[in-house]
Amino acid sequence: MSIIEVNGLHKEFLIAKRETGVMGAIKSLFKREFTKKEAVKDISFSIEKGEMVGYIGPNGAGKSTTIKMLTGILVPSAGEVTVNGIIPYENRQANAKNIGVVFGQRTQLWWDLPTIESFELLKAIYRVPDKRYKENMAIFQEILGLDEFINTPVRQLSLGQRMRADIAASLLHDPPILFLDEPTIGLDVVAKEKMRTFIQEINREKQVTVILTTHDMEDIEKLCQRMVLIDHGQKVYDGEILAVKERFGKMRTLVVDLEETSKQLYVTGGALVKQEGYRYWIRFNRDEISASDLITQISQTHNIKDLTVEEPVIESIISRIYQEGFTEQHETVHI
Amino acid sequence: MGQLNMYWTFTKKAFLRSSVYRFEVWSRTGSNLIFLVMWGSIWTALYAGKEEAAGVSFTAMLTYIVVSKFLDGVNEAGTPLWDIQEKVRTGDISLELMRPFDVPLRYLFADFGSVAFYMLTALLPIYFLLFLFMDLTLPTDGFTWIYFILSAFLGFLIRYCVEMTFGLLTFFLVETGGIEDIFYFAMSLLSGSVIPLWFFPGWLETIALYLPFQSIFFLPISIFIGEINGSQIFTSLGIQFFWLVVCYLILRLVWNRASHKVVVQGG
Repeated sequence: MSIIEVNGLHKEFLIAKRETGVMGAIKSLFKREFTKKEAVKDISFSIEKGEMVGYIGPNGAGKSTTIKMLTGILVPSAGEVTVNGIIPYENRQANAKNIGVVFGQRTQLWWDLPTIESFELLKAIYRVPDKRYKENMAIFQEILGLDEFINTPVRQLSLGQRMRADIAASLLHDPPILFLDEPTIGLDVVAKEKMRTFIQEINREKQVTVILTTHDMEDIEKLCQRMVLIDHGQKVYDGEILAVKERFGKMRTLVVDLEETSKQLYVTGGALVKQEGYRYWIRFNRDEISASDLITQISQTHNIKDLTVEEPVIESIISRIYQEGFTEQHETVHI
Repeated sequence: MGQLNMYWTFTKKAFLRSSVYRFEVWSRTGSNLIFLVMWGSIWTALYAGKEEAAGVSFTAMLTYIVVSKFLDGVNEAGTPLWDIQEKVRTGDISLELMRPFDVPLRYLFADFGSVAFYMLTALLPIYFLLFLFMDLTLPTDGFTWIYFILSAFLGFLIRYCVEMTFGLLTFFLVETGGIEDIFYFAMSLLSGSVIPLWFFPGWLETIALYLPFQSIFFLPISIFIGEINGSQIFTSLGIQFFWLVVCYLILRLVWNRASHKVVVQGG
């Protein structure tokens, strides 16, 4: 059995409808009407031990709602969830010992105490044996450099230090599963890189299963082999990241700067998607026409000052999936 | 055993945490003493040189106020109502649902730590000096001391249950001003913290006697100054124990409803 099983998961919320105007306000004192909002609609996936999965989607897609159901602090309206063999909402405290959670936006450390005190508190909460505690702390100090600031109160830590402390705190009790909610938000490039290395290392050494939600596509590209993409509460894609790139990655964009004074450019085999002065963006399908053919074609009629070919980054692929849906893409271009 | 050890760690860390806020300790002590002086002066003026009012001597009344302000200090060192409301609003309390502990108990044990720190560093030394230099009545036998401490502890637990319950109501309300008003009204007047119940008009006294709030201030202080004595002490402790059970059950009920709401409605 997979370590995480989600089957036909469904969650709807009732939202109190506010009526406008004085009469509406008076009416709502006595009778409230509710509208249903479906945050998660029929999502299914399973995750194997040791996998690192990117769980992504635009704001309000239902990401945190799903994560909350996996942690047990939200009961599904319908469908099944099992996390490490436990139904989270039925057995919240037992589930808690199997999971580690990091929220990039808030800390689980005690704000006003030296960082070490929070670790000692968590040691007591999760009843981590002394030996285990020492071993784990040694690992965290080595990889995350915790000892630099272990005696500093949490409120005086920099964001990067705080995140390092937070992720260490979530792993202190050796949970087999780790939920990371935007673990690199607000970090600088170096700190992000450190964080990613650590996550990779933990995944490799301890076989921790990681579910990562993020808006930073670099996180996904560097950490995950697989991604689950959701939008409007529904699963849009579930599979390898490479496959997405393959499927959507055929499109390239050629950017050319022409000599000023040139006349309007027309091309065949590519689509002119944008023009700013003498700079043109031409989208083309790699399978249909090569970049060099396109360049040759343009250079016959115009003088090219400068050019670049842009490869699609995963980010733009995803934003296109949000907008257009995940359908086989086939663009024939004609001007 | 492991369970108790975990909650005990909360007590220890809260004790430590209190030591971070030294300024808060001093400002809280300052305002506590100012209110003590204020109420002391008011009662001195009200007695206007009379030895006795409603069968209670001036010295006993002054002692009543001093003990009351001491208990006030003890109770205020716990997590205040606004803090609980804030934790509900920001969702911090909901997040604690995914930890392997019981949330109301965890806050209670943390409060033990904060209270212990405040008592040791400020309240006990200062009130010891007050009793040394002021003309106040102290219980003469050891048993009264024990009953007083027991009664005050029951009062503290009742106050905790009530305050936590009021705080958790934030889960169900859009605005909580009304809740705060009721809580502070009950805590300052109906508990007998500044005016003993025997000075209340008959009808108000009856109301206060049938509510849990008198257990927090009025009963323990009355035991201390000897207004409640003999077998009445046991009746009082019985009443307090009864209210503790009731308030605890209400807290549990509200907490279950609140956490149910979180897990179903997302807070």
